[in-house]
Amino acid sequence: MAGKSILETAVIVNTRVVAERTYISTIRSPQIAPIVEAGQFVMASFQNTLDPLLPRAFSVCDVMDDTLSLLYVAVGRGTKKISGLLPGEKLILNGPLGTGFPRMERGQNIWIAVGGSGAAIVPILSRSAVRAGSRLRFFYGARSKSQLVPFEISSDIAYSTDDGTAGFHGNVVGNLKQELKQAEPDMLFGCGPTPMLVSMQKEFGDKIPTYLSVETPMACGMGFCQGCPVKKRGDASYYLACKDGPVFRSTDIEFEVKP
Amino acid sequence: MPDMKVRIGDLELKNPLMTASGTCGYGDELTGYFDISILGAVVSKSLTLKPKVGNEPPRVAEVACGMLNSIGLANIGVRRFVDEKIPVLDGLGALVIANIAAKRIEDYVSLAEILAASKSVRGLELNLSCPNVKEGGIEFGTDLKTLSNIVKLVRKVFKKTLIVKLTPNVTHIEEFAAAAEAEGADGVTVANTYVGMAIDIYTMMPKIHTVTGGLSGPAVKPLTMAKVFQVSKAVSIPIIASGGIFTWQDVVEYMVAGATAVEIGTALFIQPDAPGRILKGIEEYMGDRKIERLSGLIGGLRFDRDKVPHINRNR
Repeated sequence: MAGKSILETAVIVNTRVVAERTYISTIRSPQIAPIVEAGQFVMASFQNTLDPLLPRAFSVCDVMDDTLSLLYVAVGRGTKKISGLLPGEKLILNGPLGTGFPRMERGQNIWIAVGGSGAAIVPILSRSAVRAGSRLRFFYGARSKSQLVPFEISSDIAYSTDDGTAGFHGNVVGNLKQELKQAEPDMLFGCGPTPMLVSMQKEFGDKIPTYLSVETPMACGMGFCQGCPVKKRGDASYYLACKDGPVFRSTDIEFEVKP
Repeated sequence: MPDMKVRIGDLELKNPLMTASGTCGYGDELTGYFDISILGAVVSKSLTLKPKVGNEPPRVAEVACGMLNSIGLANIGVRRFVDEKIPVLDGLGALVIANIAAKRIEDYVSLAEILAASKSVRGLELNLSCPNVKEGGIEFGTDLKTLSNIVKLVRKVFKKTLIVKLTPNVTHIEEFAAAAEAEGADGVTVANTYVGMAIDIYTMMPKIHTVTGGLSGPAVKPLTMAKVFQVSKAVSIPIIASGGIFTWQDVVEYMVAGATAVEIGTALFIQPDAPGRILKGIEEYMGDRKIERLSGLIGGLRFDRDKVPHINRNR
């Protein structure tokens, strides 16, 4: 369960284009940044406007001192607007929210599949793996090379593209399946589009301890609205993505929103 | 400290600001963001006799200046509320109003009996207006006879403040307010959400699992403002306005239209600390305008009745 979350008026430090339509915004957030754990998220909303109305959920991409960064693909009104904020402009952040990835142990081998804006978790996980002394191997998929963010991290990273312009020709789950013939990790993490998570659950969920960061429509991020249910496996009731997740053990959940 | 007290039935609230049912869990979850004892009252999620898991996702969707929801009254059930949540809310110094919903008329009575026995429950709000479950609310709240019957039966077993939350999805909401008053309700909440719909034009699917959902947020404020005004011309019991309140100006506006108190809902999703700012804004407004009692604003709309003949047509 999540700890205390804070509402903070944060300040944009800079925003960089890192791949096609993909941005990383670094934001000064001295109260929230120091207490974020990998896989947790923040809700971001704009000052003095009610349109767009709802805050946007972002997995925290990285934290450094009193700043945190968000990685996003600017496709909607909210993300486009954030990408246009200038250094010094303000963004209201509410966080850290939710339950992140399980603690990594020294010497553990962990494989992580990411796709789309799910790649946000690469830097923060990489940083916590260094601290924990665990070894990470990322599998990063995109439609095409132009959409891949070139991360500067110490962990291994294997690319896959649907059009074959970089790395493995095919999707990230296909690449994982092939690599799993040679070796098996202690844990498997996934963060990306729902079809990718559904396929990971089906292929690996019962064989390897698998943790998935789910994406669902969400209004508040705090458990107030009950708007983000995730079906419990073998039970008629629901978890809430915002509080019980967004990271769930794959064997605990069922996907209801069909890709 | 200016006088912000308002009354609903026998219940005196220290100020008119309440939470809208279903927008802050059971109230205790707000405490991370502000001290909930500053509120006039905390209104619980709709409680049912048995726990409810709620509707399938997607349950929420953003629309222009608003949102659609279809949660399906997910809640822990009345027993757990009384056993687990009431002691917490007591400890936090909140004035508690319980909101209830049911599929059967007799269940409203059973719920009211259970909650009447809890000393900390100071008032009851009947949800006769949830647009998102098959039975349980709107079926009752859009039929004058059924609404009257439920209010009458609940009134017999619940002696504390009784509020009826009305649906705006009727042609003449003031008739339903008048029916609630006639059966002894102490107040009416105007209003629940408006039936709305949005479609994803790439998947051709509705953005809400139940196809239609309840519209809330700034988009509905002028609609609800008109309904509060209409109801104020039809009843003499207090009106609790609920619809798109985000700022202290919204609260004042609703009071001028005829509301005694207000409920803040969707705003809590975006600004969970909004209540403190709203109360501070009202206090400053009262100071600037030398208003001694906030209740003096209620129904203070200035308009020339003779020159707006259609305003009187409803009555």
